[in-house]
Amino acid sequence: MIPTLGRFLILASVLVATTGAFIAYAAGSKRSPEGLRWSQRFAYLFAALMLAATGVMEYALITHDFSVEYVSHVGSTQVPLWVTIVSLWSSLEGSILFWGFILGIYIAATTWINRNDHQEYMPYAIGTWLSVGAFFSFLIAGPANPFLTVANPPLDGPGPNPLLQNHLLMIIHPPMLYLGYVGMTIPFGFAIAALLRGRLGQSFLRPLRASLLLPWVFLTIAIMLGGWWAYEVLGWGGYWAWDPVENASLLPWLTATAALHSAIVMERRGVLKGWTVTLVQASFLLTILGTFMTRSGVFNSVHSFTQSSIGPTILIFLAAVLVFSVVLLSFRIDSLEADGKLDSAVSREGMFLVNNLFFVVLTFTVLVGTCFPLIVEAVKGKQMSVGRPYFDAMVVPVGTALLFLIGVGPALPWGKASKKEILRALLPPLITGAIVMAIGLALGVRNVWTVLTLLFGGYAAHVTMAQMWLPFRQRVKRGDAIGPALVDAQLRRGRRRFGGYIVHAGAVIVFVAIAVSSTMRTQQEVTLTRGQSTTFAGYTVTYTGSEERAEPHRQSTIARFNLSKNGAQVTTMEPRMNQYAAMREPIGTPAVYSTITGDYYISIMNLQGDQAGVLIINMPMVGWIWGSVIMMGIGGLIALIPSRRRAYVVSPVPAEAAGDEVPA
Amino acid sequence: MIATFFLIALLQIKVPDAAQVLGPPQGPPLAGAQLERRTMELSSELRCPVCQGLAIGDSPSIMAANMREQARELLSRGYTREQVLSYFEKSYGQFVLLKPKFQGVNALVWLLPVLVLAIGFVIVVTKAKRLEKTPVPAAGAAAVPEATSEVIDDPYLARVREMVEKS
Repeated sequence: MIPTLGRFLILASVLVATTGAFIAYAAGSKRSPEGLRWSQRFAYLFAALMLAATGVMEYALITHDFSVEYVSHVGSTQVPLWVTIVSLWSSLEGSILFWGFILGIYIAATTWINRNDHQEYMPYAIGTWLSVGAFFSFLIAGPANPFLTVANPPLDGPGPNPLLQNHLLMIIHPPMLYLGYVGMTIPFGFAIAALLRGRLGQSFLRPLRASLLLPWVFLTIAIMLGGWWAYEVLGWGGYWAWDPVENASLLPWLTATAALHSAIVMERRGVLKGWTVTLVQASFLLTILGTFMTRSGVFNSVHSFTQSSIGPTILIFLAAVLVFSVVLLSFRIDSLEADGKLDSAVSREGMFLVNNLFFVVLTFTVLVGTCFPLIVEAVKGKQMSVGRPYFDAMVVPVGTALLFLIGVGPALPWGKASKKEILRALLPPLITGAIVMAIGLALGVRNVWTVLTLLFGGYAAHVTMAQMWLPFRQRVKRGDAIGPALVDAQLRRGRRRFGGYIVHAGAVIVFVAIAVSSTMRTQQEVTLTRGQSTTFAGYTVTYTGSEERAEPHRQSTIARFNLSKNGAQVTTMEPRMNQYAAMREPIGTPAVYSTITGDYYISIMNLQGDQAGVLIINMPMVGWIWGSVIMMGIGGLIALIPSRRRAYVVSPVPAEAAGDEVPA
Repeated sequence: MIATFFLIALLQIKVPDAAQVLGPPQGPPLAGAQLERRTMELSSELRCPVCQGLAIGDSPSIMAANMREQARELLSRGYTREQVLSYFEKSYGQFVLLKPKFQGVNALVWLLPVLVLAIGFVIVVTKAKRLEKTPVPAAGAAAVPEATSEVIDDPYLARVREMVEKS
């Protein structure tokens, strides 16, 4: 019954998405308002079907209906309810259904928000979204069908992947990632609409930018949560390993960040339209590539390609979208281009170009490094590795250069400026940079890249703070009262600018925290007998014993360590080993003691009788990463809050003073 | 699959003696804190053969621990970083080197990004030059003509425009 209903809903959604896409494209080329109305109805209907199919699957999971194949793979009567609910995205088929669910929400919401606007573009955008929707519902209906029936339903299932049950972060991380990944479909649809229409008007920039910024915020948070989870759960004391799956999440983030920046130049100067559209297309393509990388099994084990039926299908879709995008771009890019100009290369606009260059180089490097071993194996039949040391060597210089730009870009004025003006803008922040660098050197920083990061970071912090409050200071200088000036400059007219600089401030802290935590970390492996202590990095660690704890879905061994400093008790740390019924190897969960200056991290290597082999790591500043990435997300949201409709007249107040501008 | 393969390989093939493979140590013997630091650095460059892409310094597996111990021992006898890396490469293949050597096809992974940077730099410079030379369409107000033609959100106006275009 349940499987039949699910299959029906999915087949209906394939039909609705395909028909809707045809109607929408036809409405676009005929410029028919009636056709647009119909394509909107199909968009809502597609979302409703996806919502219903997901609801049916959740119902099957919660009621433990093991006649549904997916439930028999990931369900279990032994696990808590929240685990049952989130097991929707714990395995391949369910996660693709979840993808379709989120896509449906995005499509319906964006269609609704723009129901009366941008009528010349909307049919093409809806058509593109529904085409993507048709592909994903086809995936759910065929290669990744979660609604298959089991002939002899088992009485109980194995439950989802134990790693999913190990930490609460795993409940938030995957949905965030999906919201970021799937959301890239929306700006892609807008970009395709602009290309098909052959123009990209100033008022259409608003939905394009907003639709890019929202998934960017989700992706930013999701990448951080993934790193945080790895750090809290995997026990090797790191948060980023340049693993193919991690790289897959980073790639679209890099191009989307570049696009958000080039969109600002587009808005201000009317140039870089074709380029921005290209970046938006690339972001979408990279999300599909990322799905292929994580879902096909190609990257986990090179030999399992034939076992997965979904990989080739995604690859074909990827190739089709790529060809479509490139062809469309080459035919239409001229119709979008240049109705503006640059006054000078040494200006804020010029720095935007350099920023985009660096982001593209970063994207390319990560892409090459991730795919290179596969290509070499396919061509030469030899196994080779490209790992963390390679990425560190390649990415750190470009990343440091980007931090330099966060400082120099916003300091430079728009348009043409004299040498004297440029020097006056660039020199003062050097003092802050030098102070931060000196503090680092005094605290023992010796790594060249970390020293540079501190110098550029201090510089960028100075510029960011000065720019962030510039509109407010100008209003106060003009004689406005402090209260209204603050509200108007930072929260009303200057909100986008304010949000943008909050993102920059967060990014600066992230850069510094990553550099410091990775180059200043110290670690020690030691074996302690019960009652024995060791002193490391200022703390005394005493092993006080271990305890077994049985939970329905897992068996845990918890080791207890007493942490003290200068004889005074600080805290008790309890790293553990979890043994899940479904897994042979136990999974360790480290214990982390966080302070404002850094983390003290204990991970169990092995436990035997009275002896505990542990890895102790002292990581300065690592907690700053999580906090400041959240700050970047908040900044993005502040910039996203829609402002009142702009009247399309040139403001008598210069843009800089109005604060109606966004940062470099 | 790979894991089992390596486990079998590990059990059957005796790891060759360092002296036979590498010859005499080419550096000073290390000890104490310096040895620990070098071992840690080296451990981040070697891939644990039985794990999913983890360095031996990051992996909790027994094999990784053994390889770390081996690296520490070789360093303490005075073998240099390059010697230890080539020792592991001879034992397990270039697969264990997380930082590919600048050699043969593998050099491409280092060269391609630099090439893209160089080409991109040329494009950015020419683009900036060209944009600087473009005739001025009332600088700064580029948005205005766009904006006026854009206000056709009203379907009625859209129809009117369409009819005008057709005639």
